Amino acid sequence: MRTRHPHRAPPDVRFSEPGSPLLAVENLEVRYGGIRALKGISLHVCRGEVVALIGSNGAGKTTTLRTLVRLVQPAAGTLRYAGEELTTIGTEQVIERGVSLVPEGRAIFPNLTVRENLELGAFLHRDKTTIAESLHDVEQLFPRLGERMAQEGGTLSGGEQQMLAIGRAMMGRPSLLLLDEPSLGIAPKLARQIFEAIRAIAAAGVTVLVVEQNTRLALEVASRGYVLRTGEIAREGSSKELLADPMVREAYLGA
Amino acid sequence: MRRVPAVVLFAIGALTCVGLDLAYDGLVSWDRGSKFWLHILVVCAINVLGATSLNVVNGMAGQFSIGHAGFVGIGAYLGGAIVSNLALALKIPVAALKDNLSLGQSFLLLPVALVVVGLVCAAIGFVVGLPSLRLRGDYLAIVTLGFSEIVRLTVLGISADSATNPLTRAIASLGGSLGYRGPKVGEDYLGVPSVAGPFWTVGIAALAVFLALRLKRSGFGRALRAVREDEIAAAAVGVDPAKYKVTAFVLAAAGAGVAGALLAVQRDGPGIVGPANMKFDKSFEVITMVILGGSGSVSGAAIGAVLYTVIFYASEEALHQLAQAVPAFGSVDAAALRMTLFATALIVVMLVRTQGLFGERELFEKKADDGTPKPPSPSSDDATGTAKEALAS
Amino acid sequence: MIAWLLNALAQGAMIALVALGYTMVYGVLRLINFAHSEVLMMSAYASVIAQTRLFAGFGRAGMVLSTLVAIVVAVALGVTIEMVAYRPLRARAKGASARVAPLVTAISVSVLLQSVAQLAFTATPRNLDRALAPPMWSVIVIAALVMVGLHALVNLTWIGKAMRAVAVNAEAARLMGIHPSRVIVFTFAVGSGLAAIGAVLYAGTQAPIEPTMGTAIGNLAFVAAVVGGIGSVQGAMLGGVLIGLLGEIVKRTSFSGMKDAIVFALLVVVLLVKPAGLLGQARAEKV
Repeated sequence: MRTRHPHRAPPDVRFSEPGSPLLAVENLEVRYGGIRALKGISLHVCRGEVVALIGSNGAGKTTTLRTLVRLVQPAAGTLRYAGEELTTIGTEQVIERGVSLVPEGRAIFPNLTVRENLELGAFLHRDKTTIAESLHDVEQLFPRLGERMAQEGGTLSGGEQQMLAIGRAMMGRPSLLLLDEPSLGIAPKLARQIFEAIRAIAAAGVTVLVVEQNTRLALEVASRGYVLRTGEIAREGSSKELLADPMVREAYLGA
Repeated sequence: MRRVPAVVLFAIGALTCVGLDLAYDGLVSWDRGSKFWLHILVVCAINVLGATSLNVVNGMAGQFSIGHAGFVGIGAYLGGAIVSNLALALKIPVAALKDNLSLGQSFLLLPVALVVVGLVCAAIGFVVGLPSLRLRGDYLAIVTLGFSEIVRLTVLGISADSATNPLTRAIASLGGSLGYRGPKVGEDYLGVPSVAGPFWTVGIAALAVFLALRLKRSGFGRALRAVREDEIAAAAVGVDPAKYKVTAFVLAAAGAGVAGALLAVQRDGPGIVGPANMKFDKSFEVITMVILGGSGSVSGAAIGAVLYTVIFYASEEALHQLAQAVPAFGSVDAAALRMTLFATALIVVMLVRTQGLFGERELFEKKADDGTPKPPSPSSDDATGTAKEALAS
Repeated sequence: MIAWLLNALAQGAMIALVALGYTMVYGVLRLINFAHSEVLMMSAYASVIAQTRLFAGFGRAGMVLSTLVAIVVAVALGVTIEMVAYRPLRARAKGASARVAPLVTAISVSVLLQSVAQLAFTATPRNLDRALAPPMWSVIVIAALVMVGLHALVNLTWIGKAMRAVAVNAEAARLMGIHPSRVIVFTFAVGSGLAAIGAVLYAGTQAPIEPTMGTAIGNLAFVAAVVGGIGSVQGAMLGGVLIGLLGEIVKRTSFSGMKDAIVFALLVVVLLVKPAGLLGQARAEKV
């Protein structure tokens, strides 16, 4: 198994050109059998940005993220990450290039300890000092995890499992972090904590694309957002614009 | 096209079978060489019955059994024992029992034997099917394998000198590794009589195919399909998976038992029932027939069985001819060669055409409309939809 | 009594070595690799051929070299089976046939290899030189060392952690950058290598080498894996020892002829009462 990752950008690059597009999706189309789950969406995420993808159940948000990491095969369209086309490579290669996905439902390894879960997040970084540093960073981010290192992942509460999933993704030292519904099924107080952590992650220079149903929470942290409705981008704009948009207010903010 | 009434069909079928049976004896007395072909016909029919019954549980109900040989074996031993003992009880002369019995005599012996075998195997099938309520997929497969191995190893493991009670003595009387050769008459074993000619074998096989087709098209068959596609969803639309899975096992076991009995007492038969009938290889043979033809397709399984039997004898004959031309081939293990062939075929089918020759379709049936693949979404709504479709179609 | 116990433990240790292959592959793939027993049988042939043709005059050293040959053959065969027969199925698995196809393929590969051995080597049994057989105590020591090594591999190394991750959730493992296909190949390699060690010990101490030997030992090992809890490495070891003991106990009773039937009966009972086995984790099985 490979230990070095020649394709991965060195960590400092993510600070180098803030504002240049890190991820550019164009006319992305995904079909499940005869059903078009994504009907040609386009979106982009610039370096250092936090972008929210909002929408209701079944709008295609999870499909978008899963397509980005190549767990789903697109029918048409392009996916460019740091200038490179992703549609021709596999999931593992996408991860190698510095993308991490915190999947829907968290998908932690329940019978492995918290520490082992985190170590697996650093699977591509076999260097001991790097892992120790990352581990330290994650403990700073989520002190609760630090207290539960030896516990099995499955014994954590839902909110703690979400922290573990995010921490595990951060162990890969990603340039782009994709989050799928981080607040789902979590007590409001913990959800707020998790979004604070996302803010901290972004402040450290990681680019974030977050999918959320909790529109207000997402737009508070994000600078821009896209509204996805039945496989199409219905609205896009800055968080301020979206929070003020009557359609968004009515459909997603319950105002 | 007007439908022919079932009674007429049955009458025609029965007459054909009687004709076949009489033709068998006639042909053999006219040309002894025809025995070989007639034997293939009988074996074909028995294999069709075996494959059709396995198809009910493996194909239609989707409960993968790899222990079919266990039922076939029980049917063979039980059928052989009943027929030979009944023949003695009915005072059929021993000399006559050494030869083929007539069609008339077969009516004295077979109806009783086949009904008893069918019922006993159905009961055993019920017991073996019960684990299907808790276990699925490969776990269930192992239980069925475990069942057939237990039956085989029990027959092999209990010898006359270790038998202490009536049960073990009865098992020991089955002859262990030597096989069952009927009750002892004087110094000698009677041998299992040769009773079942084409009337019984072809007739029952045809009946089984007919019943299986009816079953598949009935509400019961649709329920089985729903259970196969998604148990939870089937339960959600009012199908009780437990009932259907166990019933499938019962039907398959009864069919397998009858096939085994016919195998034991077939015309020009071997006169002996060996434990090799219950080896895993035999289960594999029947699985091959069903999968080659297409799991879930009644005509597919039947054609698979015919194809298998024909290839079986053709390869044997080809090797025989080859060995006469090139003596080196004389030492080739025909059974091993055959198994190599079929195992390779099955691997290729799994890689290239998983659904087998026919898929789930029947012969002369138009291609089903569900050509479009369903969305791979595992959501329960979707699954319920599939089960509903299965019920409705 | 001690000699008897030693023998029973040695039997169990050999069964456990083979059981590990079943359990590891099941752990990562949820596939009962029926061909595992045939990998064992083929590696036994490799060892006897190497011993008689290549290392005839080498004594015990020749035995060790033959074992290495057997391991290499087993690993190559196991990996080939995975790449040629199993992997293509996973790529195109869909619908109800997706559940049955791997099972049918595994059974077919097993039948195929056994028939090929029947053709190539005939049914006549061969024997490893019994004079070079390892003593019973060393069988236990070898097996114990191998198992400690395996335990360390699974729990302490990167590849071991990757195996456990793939076993729990292959998709999540991919998101960590783990290549499940490489992990699966590695798993087949390790399992097959262990089977080869088991095969040589078995053939060296008691069983003749014949095409059906795989099924005979494989069945016991498979039952051990299920009884211990298939998917669990410790479970396979425990199951192996239990089956070894059970076999030796039955041998001393009047049911000795029923030994294998009793082992299968135990299998059925365990599956019905505690399908996850003694140490296995109950998991919601996807229909």
